[in-house]
Amino acid sequence: MAIIERPATAGGVEIAPPATPSRAQGGFKRPVSTTGWKSWLFTVDHKKLGIMYGVMAMFFFIVGGIEAVLIRLQLAAPEGKVLSASVYNQMFTMHATTMVFLFVMPMAAAFANYFIPLQIGARDVAFPRMNAFGFWCVLGGGIFINLSWFLGGAADGGWFMYAPNSGPIFSPSHGVDFWTLGLQITGIASLTGAINLIVTVLNMRAPGMSLMKMPVFTWLQLVVQFLLLFAVPVITVALFLLSFQRNFGATFFDVSAGADPLLWQHLFWIFGHPEVYILILPSFGIISEVLPVFAKKPLFGYPFVVFSGAAIGFVGWGVWAHHMFASGLGPVSVAVFSISTMAIAIPTGVKIVNWTLTLWGGKLRFTAAMHFAIGLIVLFTIGGLSGVTHSVAPSDTQQTDTYYIVAHFHYVLFGGAVFGLFSGFYYWWPKMFGKTLNEKLGKANFWMMVIGMNMTFGPMHILGLQGQPRRMYQWTEARAGEGFFNLAFWNQIASIGSIILAVGVLLFIINVVKTARSKELAPLDPWDSRTLEWMTSSPPKEHNFDVIPTVHHLDEFFHRKYQQDPVTHEYKQIATAEEILADQEAHADKHIHMPSPSYWPIVLAATLPIITTGVIYSIPVAIVGGIFLVLAMFGWALEPSTAPETDFDPPAAGESTKELAPLV
Amino acid sequence: MSAKTRRIVAGVSGLAATSFLAGCAKDAPQDTWQPKGSNAKIIDDLQQPVFAIAGVVGVIVFCVVVYCIIKFRDRGQAMPEQTHGKPALEIGMTILPALILAGVGVFTFRTVFDLSKTSDTQMVVNVTGQQWWWEYDYPAQPELGITAPIITSGQMVIPVGTKVLLRETSRDVIHSYWIPALNGKRDAVPGRVHTLRLDADKPGIYAGQCTEFCGLSHANMRMETIALSKEDFAAWVANQLADAKSPAENTLAKEGEAVFLNQCVRCHQVNGLKKADGTPAIAAPDENVWSGVAPNLTHLMSRNTFAGASWDLLNKKCRADVWGASSETVGKKYLAGVSEECLNQTDLRRWLRNAPAMKPMYADPTQLTPTNGKYRGMPNLGLSEDDIDKLVAYLSTLK
Repeated sequence: MAIIERPATAGGVEIAPPATPSRAQGGFKRPVSTTGWKSWLFTVDHKKLGIMYGVMAMFFFIVGGIEAVLIRLQLAAPEGKVLSASVYNQMFTMHATTMVFLFVMPMAAAFANYFIPLQIGARDVAFPRMNAFGFWCVLGGGIFINLSWFLGGAADGGWFMYAPNSGPIFSPSHGVDFWTLGLQITGIASLTGAINLIVTVLNMRAPGMSLMKMPVFTWLQLVVQFLLLFAVPVITVALFLLSFQRNFGATFFDVSAGADPLLWQHLFWIFGHPEVYILILPSFGIISEVLPVFAKKPLFGYPFVVFSGAAIGFVGWGVWAHHMFASGLGPVSVAVFSISTMAIAIPTGVKIVNWTLTLWGGKLRFTAAMHFAIGLIVLFTIGGLSGVTHSVAPSDTQQTDTYYIVAHFHYVLFGGAVFGLFSGFYYWWPKMFGKTLNEKLGKANFWMMVIGMNMTFGPMHILGLQGQPRRMYQWTEARAGEGFFNLAFWNQIASIGSIILAVGVLLFIINVVKTARSKELAPLDPWDSRTLEWMTSSPPKEHNFDVIPTVHHLDEFFHRKYQQDPVTHEYKQIATAEEILADQEAHADKHIHMPSPSYWPIVLAATLPIITTGVIYSIPVAIVGGIFLVLAMFGWALEPSTAPETDFDPPAAGESTKELAPLV
Repeated sequence: MSAKTRRIVAGVSGLAATSFLAGCAKDAPQDTWQPKGSNAKIIDDLQQPVFAIAGVVGVIVFCVVVYCIIKFRDRGQAMPEQTHGKPALEIGMTILPALILAGVGVFTFRTVFDLSKTSDTQMVVNVTGQQWWWEYDYPAQPELGITAPIITSGQMVIPVGTKVLLRETSRDVIHSYWIPALNGKRDAVPGRVHTLRLDADKPGIYAGQCTEFCGLSHANMRMETIALSKEDFAAWVANQLADAKSPAENTLAKEGEAVFLNQCVRCHQVNGLKKADGTPAIAAPDENVWSGVAPNLTHLMSRNTFAGASWDLLNKKCRADVWGASSETVGKKYLAGVSEECLNQTDLRRWLRNAPAMKPMYADPTQLTPTNGKYRGMPNLGLSEDDIDKLVAYLSTLK
């Protein structure tokens, strides 16, 4: 539990520290070190967890990227022989699973974890141990799913895992079991994370920060957390049904036992469509921060962006069946979902208009972060418009399950979600690590990715409209048409594009390594930013702010730096970031209490893969895992929020407050 | 918009559209923008304006962004006005797309219901998907000359200009029937019957492919719909209704019949085939295959593809002749079937030699525990080259 501490008012009363038992629990000392590997493994600091989420997500981005390149190599020529049919089916299933659940979601969680508390002027999230638990769950679940590659083959039913093809008869390897159970584990992380961040945002905002003074990134992340809170339970139910069918002989999707396979499709897409907004809204949030900073003017129509985000959060629940226009729902359902899908284009369009008008009349600085943000506007618009073309249900029956859809969602998810995340990397890197990513390399990274992505996914529009279905391990020249620009040509271009795209991502990794080696430190406020996270040191101290700021404006930090001249109405700089920070440090709160690190999150999370392994291979193992789970819950529940004095080594000379050690 | 900007927008969108169209394959068999039947046409009529609107909106957004990038670049100008927006403009920009979409919505609504009509049906075909091929079962429809049920696979034959209603289902996983030139796709779901309207304006061979991921050999589950003139269709029906004739004694084909009776008939039915003792040979695919069926081979050589329509029964030259034929001549050429000279011996023999090596299937006898020993697909029969020669000779007689 965090200590939700308000700054002491002038002459106010200090809040008493919580009662702590006099001896360490269970014979172990709390892992209180602030450096070394233990400080990462047992940390409950939202910033360290954010970085760990990011590192993990980046790792899986590379894994998913390699899978993507293999897919494109297989499809570069007709009758491809790089992968077998079986391996190809596993490859596209795991590419999607990895990119959705193990890259974009955790990367969005990385930014949420790191920046929501900073943007709202809080010292940590509401439930720091639960935060750590969530991270270890995602990591455990991700590793668990991917273990299947080495244990008889990965899941091969597509990420949508339609019944009955995902059943024990049609997918006899353990791949789908690993997939189902692994996703359950990552789902736990999504749920705990969502609850944690919702409570944090609603309860822990700095004094004066009303909801409509909250940064847009935090706003859209809040919408995402609500979507997760309601969407994840649906997929949890679906996954449980599938697990019970595969592992315990249940017949939920067994047609011969009277089941209707469309049940799975409804459950999956009731989760799956909000999931699309879970993937994209964080990136919308990121560029809604980046564009104003580099245009030097506030986000155009802040309330419209916020409310359209919330509207997407509501309408997003009413469009799931547009994934099922060819499933045979009957004309009434199809017509209704067709119209609701068109409706959701409206709040999305509002955002495009607002971003464009944020640029209008601005003073644009084209940094790497700005490149990616503008890239998002253009590429997402293409994806959004192709989305409108298949909201028209009859035309969707021609397009669905073809490469046209693959083109559409890669423009939305790569051009949208991924470009937004990259914009965030370049924008927030100096805040997180105190060093600025190389701008030149960053722009090269951007252009390679833009060229690569348009070469890869652009031709897929043509491939799909000219009839090439998805999920085929081979395509044949018999259906590729005549002429120079036949489908063979476009398949080749797409494959070449994927290599360029991979090089683009590689440039980013080179940039990261180069920046880590560089000794040059970033200025405190390198972009002349507008929001609270820039009002502290880079990287921030463990307790984020020396003084919890009192907020008077949207874009509070901007208004502390600039003031409007009452006569000329021009904004003039009245303070620099350094002066503001120095002022804070001079008036630092006394008695800042931060929660102590804990063993329990990682221990509790580690019991889950034991249970799931047991479900697949041997029930006694699952029972042992379950016992550990219960024990770990008790240990967690009985642990006090702060470590007792006896857990600490005697302070070194000159060190006054051990809790205040900076993040290294 | 000023006249100048309007000209620029029109120019750019025109250029984009032309380059897109010029970049397309010619005669792609599954092109969704080449409707050849009334259902596909009403879809196309609906989608073309939507594509155009989307294209224009895309070009406008692109132009505005580019304009901003050029015009509002930081040139040391003063700090911009800290405006938080113009509500009137915002509301206008919300209502405008809503109106456009409402218009699109009205037409979509109408088309959805038009495409679901079944009252004007003139002919019914039951279409069943299974891993990894399609079976067509024509119920008796005497007014169309179908006096007894016809069962065929891979290629569905329909009379031209006739409103055909497919009743789709599946025997294992979900498949999807899609002939882009004739209509959008509709899933074939086990335990459910879904309908799909089809009709073709002109005789021809219309290609399609299963478009719901259905497991290992999803890529090898194709199909064609062949539209024939009414007279040609009647001839096709008459041929399909006939039983297969046993080959003459002392021919290679007759020996092939013995091999067929020994091996193939366990799964594949040939109507009229008799065992040595004169009793009818009845296939029992339900004992050997998970889906319970295997293609009926009575008129194998009346079709020109096999194994889920994934390989040609016609060699390259003859295939080009039939598939490339004009709508006037295609019917006669199709009805001629696969002659000895035209038979694609290479692929047919490869298939008989080791089917799962050609098309991935669950056919390894050691790995059939989940299905209680039943195959999903065709196993390797371990036939000798001698047997294959005989079988090819026999199969060639199944016209």
